[in-house]
Amino acid sequence: MTEVTLRNQKGMTSVKEMPILQDGPPPGGFPAVRYARRIPNSGPGGAAVFLVSSLVIGFGFYQVGQGNIHRRAVRAEKIAARQAILPLIQAEEDARFVKELKKQLEEEKEVMAHVPGWKVGENVYSSGRWMPPSTGKLTVDLS
Amino acid sequence: MGGDTPVTTSAVLMSASKHISTKCGEENRAFLNCKREDPNPEKCLAQGQKVTKCVVSLLRDLHETCPKAMDAFTKCMDYYGNEFELCRKEQANFQKACPI
Repeated sequence: MTEVTLRNQKGMTSVKEMPILQDGPPPGGFPAVRYARRIPNSGPGGAAVFLVSSLVIGFGFYQVGQGNIHRRAVRAEKIAARQAILPLIQAEEDARFVKELKKQLEEEKEVMAHVPGWKVGENVYSSGRWMPPSTGKLTVDLS
Repeated sequence: MGGDTPVTTSAVLMSASKHISTKCGEENRAFLNCKREDPNPEKCLAQGQKVTKCVVSLLRDLHETCPKAMDAFTKCMDYYGNEFELCRKEQANFQKACPI
């Protein structure tokens, strides 16, 4: 610039002659920005929402009830099956138990033969109910 | 294996439980009534023997009539721990082949 001024050449003589290059709004300005609330009052009303939700919930409860019925039936089937086979299992165990008990009583008779007035297999309880002997020797050998 | 009595595992007994409750119901009830009166095992040996005979012969008959269906159902019950709900297909086959 100084050279242009001193030597009278073509060009800018001062910064004021630079073209203005600014970042500004487009011609006509920016379009308006909406910042106001807009919450519409349309859509289903309270009664409709209540009706639909109660229908859905009612259907859900119905399904729960059906499921409970099904589960009760399954449990009843299991209990009935166990009831059906219980007598067989108890009868087999009784037969085995009586055989073991006879053996135990024979042993007891031998061991206590020299003791006067000993009743073999005497019930130590006086209630009249039958109680299994608590010697721990009549259990099933599972080893 | 057509004429054997199947070994009475829990799976076999649970598979045949409906048959047992209908065919051997009388013996079962007699045994349980005897037990209710007197729990002494020595007193209910006769009824117990009847129960055992009835159930064992019933199992043998079932195995003769429908061995494949019974074996399939028993195997399924054995695999699933005696859960009826998981063996419905085999149960239906078994009850079709050997009706209660």
